[in-house]
This record gives sequence, structure tokens and C-alpha cells, in this order.
Amino acid sequence: MAKVKSGEGGALTTTIDQAMEWARSNSLWPLTFGLACCAIEMMAIQASNLDISRFGSEIFRNSPRQSDLMIVSGTVTKKMAPRLRRIYDEMPYPKYVIAMGVCVIQGGPYHLGYSVVLGVDRVVPVDVYVPGCPPTPEALTYGIMLLQKKIRNEAER
Amino acid sequence: MVEIIEETKGKDGRRNLKVAKENLVELIKDLKSKGYDHLSLITGIDRKDRLEVVYHLHNMKENVYVVVRTETMDERMPSISSLYASANWEEREQYDMLGIVFEGHPNLKRMFLPESWVGHPLRKNYDLSKVQYVNMDEEGNDYATFDPGDGW
Repeated sequence: MAKVKSGEGGALTTTIDQAMEWARSNSLWPLTFGLACCAIEMMAIQASNLDISRFGSEIFRNSPRQSDLMIVSGTVTKKMAPRLRRIYDEMPYPKYVIAMGVCVIQGGPYHLGYSVVLGVDRVVPVDVYVPGCPPTPEALTYGIMLLQKKIRNEAER
Repeated sequence: MVEIIEETKGKDGRRNLKVAKENLVELIKDLKSKGYDHLSLITGIDRKDRLEVVYHLHNMKENVYVVVRTETMDERMPSISSLYASANWEEREQYDMLGIVFEGHPNLKRMFLPESWVGHPLRKNYDLSKVQYVNMDEEGNDYATFDPGDGW
């Protein structure tokens, strides 16, 4: 959908844009992408205690073609980075990335190692950073809600 | 009888054998015939002037372990992959991380890192300041590069 505010019919386009972004923000389909120990905390947000379905994010999809949110949870190694990029490229637009945990943000405890990518933002663009080692499931839920806020605000730019 | 340089007992009562490199295959063959039917682990240690290789063998029936230590000066070791099939990958991992060449191994290539990776990362003299990057070509094969613009 075009986002050009030309003046003629602009008000209607903006309204549809906002409705679209609202619908999109409440229908996030995360991709199963657990790389290390943060994945255990990521699984917890889908379970009944902190059910992300309450916020519109449904179950984790196993195929990148069916998902629009990639939660990178765990240390990204140099060998994994090209695969991560390929999976990201296979996701349909619009797509969002949450960097979960300090390993994904800047390398974490392994930043002096030979095999770890110093931040997943070198590989894919990141929307929300959730720090922690590992972040609690509540923190990740808050990160998802921040991302929903960001998506809703995209129409108002 | 295989000549054993030193035999000690660990805290948990497990036998700790030290053997010369030339007698290693003979000793492992001997232990295998005595019921040590599972090769639990092969590890390597860089002692700066020499490389040490440690074999952990397990007797499934009696649940006892034995540890065989041996060392090499010239980065070469005899392969035991003809005795234990699991030694194939274990020796490839030691070759990848420490650069120990196992003579007689059927398929000695790197286990985790790309073939074009320079150096062996668990060596004490590995230079961490020369950062290497990994990328994948169109066939899906990994390659390592020193160019930060080419990989991650």
C-alpha cells in the first residue's frame, strides 16, 4: 500500500494505513529460531503463564514463509550467520527482528572468542533489543509489546 | 603386554594410563578386547611444547572407565577410527580445534570450521587479533575470509 500523502484522498489512505498497521501489530507470527539458552525463555512466553496469544502473537511457526517476526534468541556464531541471513531473506515483507539477550546484541560473554558474531545487527536489521542474560520471559513480552507499538506508529510517521 | 609409562588412580577409582605414542593402538586394541566397548571421549590439550591427547574408554557391562593419556611432539597421532567408529568424528574435531593430524584416518577434514579457515583456534599460539569471517557461497559451502565486507 502506498504511503504517499498526496492531499487527494489522503485522509482516507491514512486511516486505512492505521487500520492496517493496527491489524498487523496484533497478528505477529514469530519464527521458531532458538539458537541457545535464551530459547528456553522464549518458549516460556508462548506457554500458558505468559501467553503471547493475548497480545495477538500466535504460535511459533516453523517455516520462515509463514512468519513475520524473527526472535533471535541465543549466540549467533559465524557459521550460523549466513544461514540466519538466508532465513531472514526467505521471510515475507513486512518483517521484524527482535534481538534477545546480550549475546545477540553485542557478543555477550563470548565477545573475545573466535567464533561469535559481535551483534546480530551486523547480519540483519534489528527493531527491538531485549537485554539480559537471559532476559526474563516478562522482558521479552515487553519487547514484543514495544514492537507492536512501533508497528502501530509506522502509519503515523 | 603393552608397556605403560605411568599408572595412577583417580579420585573416583578410575585408572589413568600413560602410554607412548607408538604403543597407543596396541593398548586400545587390548582394552577393547577386555570389554571397554565404548569410546566415550577424545580430548586434546596444548601443553605449548607438546600436544596431549586423552582417550576416555567405557566398559558398558561393568560401568568402569579408563583414561589413556598420550602425547606427541610433532602434531601427529595414530588414528583409532578403525577400532571405534565414533573416533572418526572425535578425531576430526581434534584436528579442527588443535591441528592434530591423525594418521590413517579415512576422512580427515575440519569438523566445524570452513576448510579455508587459517589456524586452529584452541592452540595457545592462535592469533585472536586476526579476525576471520565466514560466508556461504551459492552452492551452500562455507568459506572463511579476512575481509570484513565479505562475511560475518
